[in-house]
Amino acid sequence: MTDTSPNPAAELPIKVVARDVTVSYSGKQALHDVSIEIPDRSVTAFIGPSGCGKSTFLRCLNRMNDTIDGAKVGGSLTIDGQEINDKSIDPVVLRASVGMVFQKPNPFPKSIYDNVAYGPRIHGLALTRPELDEIVENALRKAGLWEEVSDRLNHPGTSLSGGQQQRLVIARAIAVNPEVILMDEPCSALDPIATARIEELIDELRENYCIIIVTHSMQQAARVSQQTAFFHMGNLVEYGPTEDIFTNPRDTRTQDYITGRFG
Amino acid sequence: MSIIAIVALAIIVMLAGGFYVGRSRAISAVSGATARLHSLPNFHGYYVAIWTGLPAFILLAAYGMFGSGLVDRLTAMELRRDAAALTASFETALEADTETLALAETLAVLRDRADGVAEAMADLRSASGSDRDPARLEALQSEQTDLVNQLATAEDARLGRRAELRDGVSDEAAEAGASVRALAGFELAHAPRERRQLFLSDARRIATDGLASRASPELDAAAAVMRRHADQIRNLVAGIAIAIAFGGLIRTRGQVAAAFRARNHVESLVTAMLFLSSVIAIMTTIGIVFSLLFESLRFFSTVPLTEFLFGLQWSPQIALRADQVGQSGAFGAVPLFAGTAMITVIAMIVAVPIGLLSAIYLSEYAGPRFRLTAKPVLEILAGVPTVVYGFFALLTVGPAIRGFFAMIGIDDVVTQSALSAGLVMGVMIIPFISSLSDDVINSVPQSLRDGSYAMGATKSETIGRVIIPAALPGIVGAILLAVSRAVGETMIVVMAAGQGANLTANPLESVTTITVQIVMLLTGDQEFDSPKTLSAFALGLVLFVITLVMNVIALRVVQRYREKYD
Repeated sequence: MTDTSPNPAAELPIKVVARDVTVSYSGKQALHDVSIEIPDRSVTAFIGPSGCGKSTFLRCLNRMNDTIDGAKVGGSLTIDGQEINDKSIDPVVLRASVGMVFQKPNPFPKSIYDNVAYGPRIHGLALTRPELDEIVENALRKAGLWEEVSDRLNHPGTSLSGGQQQRLVIARAIAVNPEVILMDEPCSALDPIATARIEELIDELRENYCIIIVTHSMQQAARVSQQTAFFHMGNLVEYGPTEDIFTNPRDTRTQDYITGRFG
Repeated sequence: MSIIAIVALAIIVMLAGGFYVGRSRAISAVSGATARLHSLPNFHGYYVAIWTGLPAFILLAAYGMFGSGLVDRLTAMELRRDAAALTASFETALEADTETLALAETLAVLRDRADGVAEAMADLRSASGSDRDPARLEALQSEQTDLVNQLATAEDARLGRRAELRDGVSDEAAEAGASVRALAGFELAHAPRERRQLFLSDARRIATDGLASRASPELDAAAAVMRRHADQIRNLVAGIAIAIAFGGLIRTRGQVAAAFRARNHVESLVTAMLFLSSVIAIMTTIGIVFSLLFESLRFFSTVPLTEFLFGLQWSPQIALRADQVGQSGAFGAVPLFAGTAMITVIAMIVAVPIGLLSAIYLSEYAGPRFRLTAKPVLEILAGVPTVVYGFFALLTVGPAIRGFFAMIGIDDVVTQSALSAGLVMGVMIIPFISSLSDDVINSVPQSLRDGSYAMGATKSETIGRVIIPAALPGIVGAILLAVSRAVGETMIVVMAAGQGANLTANPLESVTTITVQIVMLLTGDQEFDSPKTLSAFALGLVLFVITLVMNVIALRVVQRYREKYD
């Protein structure tokens, strides 16, 4: 029933594989049998109307659904061939390699430095202060924030502007060296300039990470992603190279959504 | 009073009529098409009713509050006017009386000497080294006692002489055929305050056909005057009230029209009413503060502020007679502050960890079912009357503590100790801290938790590194509120901590607190002009200031925390 091509970017290695993933919240099914293969070192966008299951699926990838009472996840989900829904997998360990950036910037009420050092500290990535300093600086540089904050690392993270906060949160996520970065509508709370800055950053990060982004903006999906998946009513309707999805959608629902007929 | 009751009833009837009139006039103004009215018919009714009833009732309330005082004042004024001639002759008698003059002179001399002695004593007390002279100090002390006695005797004599002269003048006047009204006025002008009040209240009772403590022609005359004034004022008030009500009814009835904005007028009256209610609350607070402040000032005119705040000895018994031994009275409140602080600290040591940890458990770990039962149970703890905690401390905890220390070989532990009061008070405060902290922890945004979990943090890491730091200002606020509660707590300490004003750091001894001393000082028969009772007000003021400061800080802290997330 789903019309997917398993690997739209054949030249890239496959990072994440989902087979018949279903999610239900307190018995109400939110996601039906989603199967998808997501390549490494590229940006994959999930689009679709509100409530279509794209965020739900995203939260399966780092088992954030575990924190919601009554959430049940079925099917098989592997990252690098490792089943992540397995009981033997500690979600805490999994989340260290699957970072996540949320819709609203959520810096902790700590200094900029401590925000970025949060992950490295709990995972013991740095033994000495200089090592930690280096990790923090690297993460901030990768997130394109270093130039702006290097002279005020001890200021509270909440004192930054919205766009800066979101880049701080991205820096916090990449400070633990994840392999996959999940972004749940990372620009929806930002103005166009900050959005452009984040999109640029996503494009840069693509070289090193497997990035999966949920977005409501089709222009954004078209700008930043290499693959696009269209979700509707808890189903994965269509998945393919972004160009194909936007210029030549195979499913009428995709076409209607992209042309703005609904959603 | 019955006239006033009838008037009140009449106003109520007019008010109801006003509502009906306003309503029906509004309907007839648009000939039934109420949609054309600016305000619903009921609002027109309310508007008319309010302006009919409210001003009149305010007048009646004012009469109820100030009426009798006004009558007393008018009566006294009228009687005193009649007594002007007698008063003048009393003044001349007083001025001409050699004995009074001599007594006044003696008093002045004695006061000078007392001042001199007090000064010399102060010098000696602050002296050091070779200037110290304990023997002379003792001599001066006994001289001061002696002088105080002499002063009291002289003052009594002077007042006695004054009363004698007064009685003489009034007797003479009575014989000479002065009017009873003049004699009553003379009494009202020159008797001591208590006698004046008694006279007026007796007159009032006679005037209202009540039971008076005595009867005399003067009282009857005063009662007659009073009755006349009372009737006049009552009739005046009744007339004005009816007139105001009627005027309001007529005026507002005329205003009713299709375009009249009765709804907005009622709205602004409601606003005014709400404002008035909040003003009453604020004024009450201000009134309490001022009464504390004035009584405390009276206290500080006898005991210096520095002695009160820094003195180490608290024994508020004041000498009834100057020669009484060992009853000098000491008002150094440091032992009370120390006792209060010790018990508060013990209570906090118990309450903060338990309260905070249970809040964390309840808000972060407990399943919904446990939470649903545990939270109300904790809140019941807050509803237990403190006197019940009091017996628990006195009958269970105190003996248990003594037993425990006896077991480990410390025998001289008393049952009423700071420790038992503090422990039980801590238990009492747990629900405050847990319930407030629970709210604060729950209001930490979920996005912060998600952010932390998404970084691969465990639950306890998230709590320790993100949630508690984020909630800290609120938790601090909760703790400060709990401290001010502990400082002001009375019953548990009265029952469990003993009453000895010991300045000690040993929690196993009995101590006393500010609140306990206030209770001790003000229970039973007390006269309200000795430093002993007045010191209670000074203590109350200190308590008030402490809790006020604490609450202000706590509210500030909590507020700042709220701003951060909203």
